[in-house]
Amino acid sequence: MDFDFSDDQQSLRDAVRRWVEKGYTFERRRSIVAAGGFDRAAYNELAELGLTALTVPEAHGGLGQGPVDAMVAMEELGRGIVLEPLAQAFIASTVLSQYAPEAVQADWLPRIASGEALVVLAQQERKARYRLDICEAKAAAAQSGHALTAIKSIVPTGDQADAFLVPAQLDGAIALFLVERSAPGVSTRGYVTQDGSRAAEVQLENAPATLVTTDGLAALALAVDTGIAGVCAEAVGVMDQAVSLTVDYMNQRKQFGVVIASFQALRHRVADMKMQLELARSMSYYASLKLSAPPDERRRALARAKVQLGQSMRFVGQQSVQLHGGIGVTDEYIGSHYFKKLTQLEMTYGDTQHHLGEVSARMQDTAGVFA
Amino acid sequence: MDLAFTPEEQAFREMIRAWVKEHLPPEISHKVHNALRLTREDMQGWAKILGKKGWLGFGWPKEFGGPGWTAVQKHLFEEECALAGAPRIIPFGPVMVAPVIMAFGNAEQQQRFLPGIASGEVWWSQGYSEPGSGSDLASVKTRAERVGDHYVVNGQKTWTTLGQYGDWMFNLVRTSNEGKPQTGISFLLLDMKSPGVTVRPIKLLDGECEVNEVFFDNVKVPAENLIGEENKGWTYAKHLLSHERTNIADVNRSKRELERLKRIARAEGVYDDLRFRDQIALLEVDIVALEMLVLRVLSAEKSGKNSLDIAGLLKIRGSEIQQRYAELMMLAAGPFSLPFIEEAMEAGWQGDAAAGALSGFPGGSLANAPLASTYFNLRKTTIYGGSNEVQRNIVAQTVLG
Repeated sequence: MDFDFSDDQQSLRDAVRRWVEKGYTFERRRSIVAAGGFDRAAYNELAELGLTALTVPEAHGGLGQGPVDAMVAMEELGRGIVLEPLAQAFIASTVLSQYAPEAVQADWLPRIASGEALVVLAQQERKARYRLDICEAKAAAAQSGHALTAIKSIVPTGDQADAFLVPAQLDGAIALFLVERSAPGVSTRGYVTQDGSRAAEVQLENAPATLVTTDGLAALALAVDTGIAGVCAEAVGVMDQAVSLTVDYMNQRKQFGVVIASFQALRHRVADMKMQLELARSMSYYASLKLSAPPDERRRALARAKVQLGQSMRFVGQQSVQLHGGIGVTDEYIGSHYFKKLTQLEMTYGDTQHHLGEVSARMQDTAGVFA
Repeated sequence: MDLAFTPEEQAFREMIRAWVKEHLPPEISHKVHNALRLTREDMQGWAKILGKKGWLGFGWPKEFGGPGWTAVQKHLFEEECALAGAPRIIPFGPVMVAPVIMAFGNAEQQQRFLPGIASGEVWWSQGYSEPGSGSDLASVKTRAERVGDHYVVNGQKTWTTLGQYGDWMFNLVRTSNEGKPQTGISFLLLDMKSPGVTVRPIKLLDGECEVNEVFFDNVKVPAENLIGEENKGWTYAKHLLSHERTNIADVNRSKRELERLKRIARAEGVYDDLRFRDQIALLEVDIVALEMLVLRVLSAEKSGKNSLDIAGLLKIRGSEIQQRYAELMMLAAGPFSLPFIEEAMEAGWQGDAAAGALSGFPGGSLANAPLASTYFNLRKTTIYGGSNEVQRNIVAQTVLG
């Protein structure tokens, strides 16, 4: 029972923090947003730092690190509200290394590790909302492998990614496939999302696909839980910085002849933000530490984590705006963008209410960190 | 980073579990598990059982007879006791005054007072709050005037928890009016059987007299009962608060009460009502998050790296969770939490014999008898121990400066 970071993890944190502070300024971010919300060059810089290789097994050219290392990286990217979706590399590498046939792993994992291949999860459908078991996408047997027909929504960097992980119905059950964006039958429509990052609608019409696993629902659940752990970690970084910005502002801004940090009502608000931040950080650790637990235990743990994070993100985001007064709702001010990011994370991989339903449905008699 | 306890820590937990199982009287754990009223004998009985094992002062330094447990071991000990339904340790002797006597008392005082505390034989009460001194504790007015070889104490303390059972009392008394209020306070130990001491119970919303007023009318207290130096009492009192105590989160008890909440919800038929169920689920998440926070603090203490400096968060959140499970239990029972039948809150109530078919607890479930009382009683948790508003001031200070 130990929550210290290793020296390597601390070095990783320092390296990513340095890159964010020096190489991913708010000005750079703003220009990326203006250009569409995704900069391949920035993603390549993450790869050069070794981040895309973090959770790829060593046998496939990766660094073979675990969820906690991924968590550290995501926290630091969250502090800079980085637009490029590193978490997708963690999702893809985790799912492929646990579910894909060896040949598929050998084909894709090294390229994910090097950053050459940006592989993203394309699972959202209109009718599914946050459920994973509702899937209208269809796979049919084809000449070499399978062909997918589907419309997947809000796919991160969907019109820029190299390949998609796509759940689809095969013989009455959900299976998981890999589809290359360059394949025939693939069309995309990209757009910027609320937090500035890029997403796309992806349509597949008999697009050739590689089968990853017929155990699709289990693989998808792992993918989403990995994504949730990533969201939690990222959110901690975002909130940490949001609180920092708020504290700095309150200690500078004067009204009635004194800094607003001296007003008790506002001080108590900050205490409550600190509370939410520390509860969130605690549950983010819990989420990453439970990622390798057996599926039912993992699912319950990640659902609990998302419920805590959802509440914390909303409170910290809303209050950081509130405590900034008018400038908190301007586009010009950096803090407002942290709020938008936190808002978007709520609706990523299931919102608070959805996961509360999961916690509720999976409740047992005994509860606790170890139960 | 690793969630699991070490094999040694696990073995320690199992050892404690087995010992508690063997030594905790089932009549007592029955009362605790069902929130029935505990008698003085119940509470002091358990203290003496622990005392005999040398575990009442389980946090004491080894040189004073403590078992020398690590922060994790202390946490596991408290958890196993809580889960087994042991009564709370009455903290005033073993947890509050003993460390002050050890740190600031002289050898004679240590020899005189510590054994009685360690054994559970002597019941100690706390004399801090006064009618005019709650959050502003430094403003205490109870006066101790030095006259020859003793002090004459006049004044009044309030909110003295279980003072009606107290043998001895430790008091913050005013020995000087010069300078800032904090610099005129002394720490004085007082025999409650002294002439001039009057204890008057205060009835609370739950119908019980958990706290008291204590009046001092020219009470003579030997000068040897002064701890340390005159006018340094505030420093000694603050010493108590300076180390991070994760047990203020009370998360172990909250886990146990969450299980009880689910049992009650099932019995009342609301566990399958998704609207109610979701509220329990939310509380469950809150408890897991608090436990994670406690574990993080323990881990920081264990590795000695960075103290997390978040004791205030533990108190605020812990107290809110205590209130919430009490609230949900009462709401689960709904209208059947409303009958206030005091006998039904004592162990062994057989019903109202004369009432025939109507003799049982209204609605049929005796488990509902104490729920509203518990809810009313636990409104205190956000008020005592440094009100949550004051705690927020302290937390804000650490963040804003």
